[in-house]
Amino acid sequence: MSDWSQIIVRSFIFLFVLFIMTKILGKKQISQISFFEYVSGITIGSIAGEVIMGLDGNIGHGILAIGIFGLVTLSVGFISLKSNSFRDFVEGKGTIFIKDGKIMEDNLKKEKYSTDELTTLLRQKDVFNLADVEFAVLEPTGDISILLKKENRPITPKDLNVKVANDKVPQTVIRDGQIVYDSLASAGKSLKWLTDEIDKLEVTMDNVFYGQVDSYGDLTVDLYDDKMKQPTPQTRPLLMAMLKKCQADMEIFELETESESAKNMYKKNAKKLNDAINTLSPYLSN
Amino acid sequence: MTVISNVKQSLSTIKGIESQLSILALNSQDPEAQKTFHEIMNMMNDIKKDLQVRVNEMMLEEPQYKGS
Repeated sequence: MSDWSQIIVRSFIFLFVLFIMTKILGKKQISQISFFEYVSGITIGSIAGEVIMGLDGNIGHGILAIGIFGLVTLSVGFISLKSNSFRDFVEGKGTIFIKDGKIMEDNLKKEKYSTDELTTLLRQKDVFNLADVEFAVLEPTGDISILLKKENRPITPKDLNVKVANDKVPQTVIRDGQIVYDSLASAGKSLKWLTDEIDKLEVTMDNVFYGQVDSYGDLTVDLYDDKMKQPTPQTRPLLMAMLKKCQADMEIFELETESESAKNMYKKNAKKLNDAINTLSPYLSN
Repeated sequence: MTVISNVKQSLSTIKGIESQLSILALNSQDPEAQKTFHEIMNMMNDIKKDLQVRVNEMMLEEPQYKGS
């Protein structure tokens, strides 16, 4: 066999071997969180490259070496699941760089990071002011994780004491124009419901490229025809508008009527509707 | 537009709201949302009854409004 046909065959073989190996090792290998995965990642790659290009090398030997590296990484993963101390040793622990807003110089020195490198890492996380940081830790991956001081953290509805509705994961029911029956079932909807909703939006099923159901059972669609105006679900904002109109009507009736009992009744109901508007506003706003 | 027709209009809007809420209560995935929609739906039902009573009263007081 000529050299170049050898290379073609070897390339395909190792492409396949590496693919199988990464499939077995799983997503953890790709994220390279632990030190061990980092090392094995580099080595497996270079063994494959070496055997593909160095034609003197034996294919079997290459596969054997890759297999050993894969096996060891896999077993290290299993053992570290069982043993905490082993995990700390193999995967390494995070090093605290900033604690209570103060830089830990000793830890910085231990990891051989200069102050400039620390500020670079902080800036990559959009932190320019050291005074904003409460706690920062260097993860085994080499990333830095930062806890900002409370006043510098983004404001959340909880901080504002605002009640918000809980959202469930939206289900993709139409993907590339095809109905996804599994997600339709997990959204608790039938095919009949889907066709009805699409009719309500006044589009045809053929024109829908992508469709999602949110936690209120509203269907949002994206159409193939981008020139057409995208229909948006309007039921909930419309309901809010109706509620507000009724509330205003009750107040008007209250002023218009002369009967005392009717006045009271309108007043009571206007208040009830007001309560309803307040209770529903987290659920009815888009 | 007479007063009674205005009240009747409101009554039917309330009915519409009630049915919308019932649909939302059935379609929502979140139990908390379902509960809230259901509660408000019952509230609307009370308002609906009150308004219905008022419409009946008005019709008795002013029989000429019956048709409108």
